[in-house]
Amino acid sequence: MADSPPLLKGTLDVLVLKALSWGPMHGFEIVGWLEQRSSGSVDVDDGALYYALHRMEERGLIESEWRLTGNNRKARYYRMRAAGRAHLKSEGASLERYARALADILALRPS
Amino acid sequence: MRRTRRLFHLDPLSRQLARREMRDELAFHVEERIAQLTALGMTPDEARAEAIRRLGQTWDEAERHLGDSAKLKERRLNVRERLREFGDDIRYAVRGLAARPGFTAIAVLTLGIGIGANTAIYSAVDALLLRSLPFPEPGRLLDIVQTSGADGDAPWSYPKYAFFRDAQRSYASLALHRTTQTILTGTDPERVLTEEVTTQYLSALGLRVAQGGDFPLELDSGPGARRVAIISDALWQRRFNGDPGVVGKSLSLNNEPWEIIGVLSPGFRGISGRAEALVNLSARSAEGLNEPWSMEFSLIGRLRDSVTVAQAVTEAELIGPRIYEAFPAAGGGLTTSKAPEKWTAAARPLDAIRVASGLRRSLLVLFGAVAMVLLIACVNLANLLVARAVARKQEIAVRLALGAGRARLVRLLVMESLVLALCGGVASLLVAFVGTRVLSTINPQETLRVQGLEGGIGAIGFEGIRLDASALAFTFIVTVAVGLLFGLAPALGATRPSLVADLKDGSSGSGTGRRIGASRRALVVAEVALALVLLAGSGLMIRSLGRLLSVDPGFDARDVLTLRLSIPQGVLAPDSMPGFYEQLLSEIRGVPGVAEVALADCPPLSASCNGTIMTRADQPRSATGNAMVGVHWVSANWFGTMRIPLKRGRMFSEADRLGGPKVVLINEAAARQYFAGEDPVGKRVAVYQGGFHTGAEIIGIVGDVRFGTIDSTARPDTYISYAQSRQPRMMVFARTTGDPSAMAPAVRGAVRRIAPQAPVFDIRSMPARVVMASAQTRLSAVLLGFFAAVALSLAVMGIYGVLSFAVAQRTGEIGIRVALGAERGRVIALILKDGVRLALVGLTIGLLAALALTRVLRSMLFEVTTTDPLTYVGMASVLGLAVIAASWIPARRAARVDPVIALRKG
Repeated sequence: MADSPPLLKGTLDVLVLKALSWGPMHGFEIVGWLEQRSSGSVDVDDGALYYALHRMEERGLIESEWRLTGNNRKARYYRMRAAGRAHLKSEGASLERYARALADILALRPS
Repeated sequence: MRRTRRLFHLDPLSRQLARREMRDELAFHVEERIAQLTALGMTPDEARAEAIRRLGQTWDEAERHLGDSAKLKERRLNVRERLREFGDDIRYAVRGLAARPGFTAIAVLTLGIGIGANTAIYSAVDALLLRSLPFPEPGRLLDIVQTSGADGDAPWSYPKYAFFRDAQRSYASLALHRTTQTILTGTDPERVLTEEVTTQYLSALGLRVAQGGDFPLELDSGPGARRVAIISDALWQRRFNGDPGVVGKSLSLNNEPWEIIGVLSPGFRGISGRAEALVNLSARSAEGLNEPWSMEFSLIGRLRDSVTVAQAVTEAELIGPRIYEAFPAAGGGLTTSKAPEKWTAAARPLDAIRVASGLRRSLLVLFGAVAMVLLIACVNLANLLVARAVARKQEIAVRLALGAGRARLVRLLVMESLVLALCGGVASLLVAFVGTRVLSTINPQETLRVQGLEGGIGAIGFEGIRLDASALAFTFIVTVAVGLLFGLAPALGATRPSLVADLKDGSSGSGTGRRIGASRRALVVAEVALALVLLAGSGLMIRSLGRLLSVDPGFDARDVLTLRLSIPQGVLAPDSMPGFYEQLLSEIRGVPGVAEVALADCPPLSASCNGTIMTRADQPRSATGNAMVGVHWVSANWFGTMRIPLKRGRMFSEADRLGGPKVVLINEAAARQYFAGEDPVGKRVAVYQGGFHTGAEIIGIVGDVRFGTIDSTARPDTYISYAQSRQPRMMVFARTTGDPSAMAPAVRGAVRRIAPQAPVFDIRSMPARVVMASAQTRLSAVLLGFFAAVALSLAVMGIYGVLSFAVAQRTGEIGIRVALGAERGRVIALILKDGVRLALVGLTIGLLAALALTRVLRSMLFEVTTTDPLTYVGMASVLGLAVIAASWIPARRAARVDPVIALRKG
């Protein structure tokens, strides 16, 4: 966590929703998925992840249910809801625009 | 479903469910993470630590982040978690205390004494003032008296009781009772207390006999009824060996047979608490019962279910005047000085008269004093803890900075004081145990009477003082309260969230240091003030005691042994009594070591002597009114034996005996009252006792003797020669050549040789009687003095602590002063001034508080006013000097500060 940049505000929600758009996952799977897809450069604080999950569930973006994992353990699986999909679409787009703008600015060189 | 639940706010059940789900989820996550990390090569412990670290700082914090405030509350309810933290806190506290054994020992000792003394006095207060009376539904029991505004309360006669009984509608049962000394006659005569009662006595109290039956109601139909008795369990065991067939047997009291009809249950020995038997008072003869102006009996009643106490009180006020219309004139006109028209009746809860008001007051004063000692102890400990907190402020600041919650830290610090208080509480049990034992073995009946504190219900006595569940609960509550009291303030102060400065620099001159210094100073001022209040109170009691001890009772108590014997009725013909006593005296005189022997019917300082009306023969009765004198039967040599001076006239002689002209001696008080400005010798008076109402000549005047309480001046007394008037109850006064108590067995033996059938009792040396007469004042003075001494030493410790700390804080400053050439004297003065200033503020506050508070002592003091300047000046000086002495040591230490070392350190 120390050697990776902190997540920008609002980013984590979008990343989690993105992960869930692949299908239902439990919290630890989401962490693993994010680490894997970002080659380790996105390091999610575990506590913050669950905070985000519960908050989004309260807001109706996702829902959860208890299911058995592959090796027969009980885990809480989160699934995307329609509102979540919409949120991912709008927020994802604006984040993308923001990231592009940020990259452009950082690419500038003094002339 | 979830939506609806959210709509109506989560009900507790689903909230709990949500909590559990969250926990399970986190647990699952942590386990997965651990599995992952161990797979990467971490040890399980490292993996667990890392997994939790990734959740946040701690598990707790992770949960806190995740939980909303409702969930947070539930977390607090999680017992296991709480217990773990609790255990941690206790371990931390114990470690901290064990690391400072000196501090801990002093604190535990102080608390042990403070709490123990409080528990002991509380036990006494509980037993004597609080515990409910040992009868069913005690609130329904009333005590009914005859009363008049001017003359106070008086007991009943049987005819007046009968009038009241027939007029009232409030009581389900009413009963007269009277405690008397009786001789249990038979093979081994014994003096016992019995209660003469009417038949409803037990039912009024709500009690039953353990065996046999209650008094049959028809016994009350008139005087001269058959004699029946209900004996105590103790008597049944002692005299009848627990014989199951005791009912129907005969009990010999005063040489008369009484039929035993029942046995009381073990715990109950009458309202007097000491009765061996209840007997029916209707067994008395008509003359003994039908005198309307006798004042002998107490009256209790149990209310009917439908009647309130207030209604019964009103009813008694209404019936009272009618009784005195029914009995308009004083029967013989001689047994009372009271004018009948002022009299009425009054009912009050039995509980209200359980102890004499003087005793109640003494107990409450002592309770106040011990509470004050405990308060000082708390202040002192708070002081020590503030000092500790200051010493640890860096540690505390670091913990705060690391994110420890303030609440958690306060809890940690308070836990330390609670553990300390609990140790003190445990230690206090020892003090309380010893204290209650000592208090319960005081035999107060006699002591209280001679101090004028008689009254109340005998069954409510010091024997009831014990360390029971209520006392233990009191100890526990006080302990916890004390722990919070002296722990919370320093903990809150020390964890005040502005300690960034303390983090940066540990030096003691910072703002916080000064603020804590100010609070410590305030504590010391409070301590000095409280100590002065206690010192002033104890000083007043000690001065009182000194005054009491220097009272001249009018006789020389040294080397005098006293004992009583009672001669059962029928053993001696009344007229042969003087002869019997002469024989007795000569037998005792023959005992080696006995120099003189004399007789009197009642000992000085006993507050139980007999009295009656005396009038001058040469004046109409109205001139002296119903003035009372004490009447004493004495042998002629009693005055010589007791070293009571003859002031005028002559003593009794051999000629003053039965059949000779009747003569009396009077004391100086009587001479002043009856014969102001005249010479009484040769005048004639009528004394309405002992057959002297027909007139007797005054042959001499003797010095005043205090027969009442030691603090009341002698009242008018008159003396009759026992040779001239029968008196079956005489007391032997033997002046010995050595320790009088050592002579007791020999004298008792001599009595037994002459009168084997007369029990000897009340053997006591006269000095012991004098001591007893001031015992209650002595006890109060000793206890208050002890408490004041503890308070004084605590206050001194407090001052010393604060100043030592101040010196340590100011080492740098003092070093600079010394380096700049300040003289040692100046440095000492600097520190002393600090101490004296604290002392002066404390003394001023204490003086005002003492003036206000010692007023409650007024009725307990003897010849000392509550504003006695000598006491206040004296005690303030003692305290002031002690404070200066306590300041001197730190001041000297300051003067010896080596500037080089001090500056380097600072």
